[in-house]
Amino acid sequence: MASSSSGLTFKLHPLVIVNISDHHTRVKSQSQPPTATSASNSPAPRVFGCVIGVQRGRTVEIFNSFELLYDSSTRSLDRSFLEKKQDLYKKVFPNFYILGWYSTGADAEESDMHIHKALMDINENPVYVLLNPLINHAQKDLPVTIYESEMHVIDGIPQLIFVRSSYTIETVEAERISVDHVAHLKPSDGGSAATQLAAHLTGIHSAIKMLNSRIRVLHHYLNAMQKGEIPYEHSLLRQVSSLLRRLPAIESEKFQDDFLMEYNDTLLISYLAMFTDCSSTMNDLVDKINIAYDRHSRKGGRTAFI
Amino acid sequence: MDPLSFSSSAAMAQQTWELENNIVTMEPPQSSESDSVFHYDESAQAKIQQEKPWLKDPHYFKRVKISALALLKMVVHARSGGTIEIMGLMQGKTDGDAIIVMDAFALPVEGTETRVNAQADAYEYMVEYSQTNKQAGRLENVVGWYHSHPGYGCWLSGIDVSTQMLNQQYQEPFLAVVIDPTRTVSAGKVEIGAFRTYPEGYMPSDEPVSEYQTIPLNKIEDFGVHCKQYYSMDVTYFKSSLDCHLLDLLWNKYWVNTLSSSPLLGNGDYVAGQISDLAEKLEQAEGQLSHSRFGSLITPTQRKKEEQSQLAKITRDSAKITVEQVHGLMSQVIKNTLFNSVRQSVKTQPESSGPEPMVQS
Repeated sequence: MASSSSGLTFKLHPLVIVNISDHHTRVKSQSQPPTATSASNSPAPRVFGCVIGVQRGRTVEIFNSFELLYDSSTRSLDRSFLEKKQDLYKKVFPNFYILGWYSTGADAEESDMHIHKALMDINENPVYVLLNPLINHAQKDLPVTIYESEMHVIDGIPQLIFVRSSYTIETVEAERISVDHVAHLKPSDGGSAATQLAAHLTGIHSAIKMLNSRIRVLHHYLNAMQKGEIPYEHSLLRQVSSLLRRLPAIESEKFQDDFLMEYNDTLLISYLAMFTDCSSTMNDLVDKINIAYDRHSRKGGRTAFI
Repeated sequence: MDPLSFSSSAAMAQQTWELENNIVTMEPPQSSESDSVFHYDESAQAKIQQEKPWLKDPHYFKRVKISALALLKMVVHARSGGTIEIMGLMQGKTDGDAIIVMDAFALPVEGTETRVNAQADAYEYMVEYSQTNKQAGRLENVVGWYHSHPGYGCWLSGIDVSTQMLNQQYQEPFLAVVIDPTRTVSAGKVEIGAFRTYPEGYMPSDEPVSEYQTIPLNKIEDFGVHCKQYYSMDVTYFKSSLDCHLLDLLWNKYWVNTLSSSPLLGNGDYVAGQISDLAEKLEQAEGQLSHSRFGSLITPTQRKKEEQSQLAKITRDSAKITVEQVHGLMSQVIKNTLFNSVRQSVKTQPESSGPEPMVQS
């Protein structure tokens, strides 16, 4: 399948991915109860649903999704159900529109085009998100593909076919933290300051490790290109060069000032905290001394401490 | 840097850390047993409903297991509300002394802190949503409600306690969950609490106070009055094997976001609020302390202990705020070193010389 040429950029939120995965797992475990014999060999039933989000200009951002009913006799989605669900979701998320639909499976099928066309009256260019639920540990890439439909002339007949689009994963800070939390099962309680620090730095460390490995790949590739093992690919070279030219990221005076100010603010806060800690300890000390050298002790013990 | 030694030392570090924190890993993802929790057994649930074991023991439910999906939905919804409290319902089932939350959905009501029965507005929505869900294959029942306390911690206010008591009378089994999205973003970990109230008049045995958290001054009275009327439950999370797999792969695309996150920028006014709140508490504590100085002859030692612990609390709070700030700053400094200190042969490099205090002239 050719890649999309519509020029739309797609952004996918992790919530959608987890939603689809949960839908699939649910349906699978309902149809194959755990008391059934060992590993199920029959393929899990396909699930279908709708994706909603926002479209701003050329950017399509998919935020959320919900399930839909599929009628296998007519091979189409239950329309009234869709509309009911859409109303419910509109009340809570008034900004989101139906952007397309999703399904599980290994590859897009012909029958999917049928469903796709049915959605075209809601959104003239719906997207089709396909998740492959088969766990393949050798696979390094996310088994989620986004398809758009395009009119292509095949054998003289204009037909709609699915074309792949690339997408990026977009997230908000809260989403990132909760995904991180569930993915890596970080310590949920306060822990000591040391564990918190360790957790925080581990996160950053892994991210930097990824960055490092990616850069190494590029480096290796460029080396090979230089030695002549691989033919020159100019578009890639241009991209790498533009990437390099973006460093250093920010160099203005204003940035330095703001950065230093933020730095100093944080130092000030830690200074104040240290102060508070010290005064609290001093307070404890004074109290203890007062108790030990109580001038009105009945035993007439030690003299008052002045 | 040899990638091989990197990964082995990292693996060792991870193991030590896991041991220290008693991380319980779920069964290996290949087995289908870890997914068995997703199976909804109608007859077993009906049986539990008839038996009602929670009537005998007010402390019956001790644990909550939240699915990855439910957590994600709740946190995103809570954050999308900004500084307005939002609420929603959770669906799931019971399993012995644990309540399992499989899914959550938002309700179109706002501002629950001023009304006891905000849920009444949303009954129609609830019924319709539950019906459509059952059709689509989500068979679980509503098993609790959640709402957010943006910026002021996870606990039940007076209104929340009365709402939950009502719920526990008529809609058992029911659970209350509170999420603080502002603190989540600021601290970098999810702030969530799960609670059940005691029935009216029940005197709980003196329990150890659960994990301490700072409460802003204007809410602390509300907290103090009601904190003995409910208990908090252990929260654990679970995910399916497919979720595991997907989340692992997601990391391949995700690391960019981790690196580029800047918690300092997003939460400026929250931190300022915390600091001013801390200042007020300090003044209060100071006022009490100066009284006891003069009355040290007469006042019993109890009061002194209270003030001391007040000061100790303030110290802990200030340490917490500082730690969060320092973490945020660390990320900024790392990013600066990575992406800004290029061309070192041309410029002098103040950044790479490490975090000495830089004084602004």
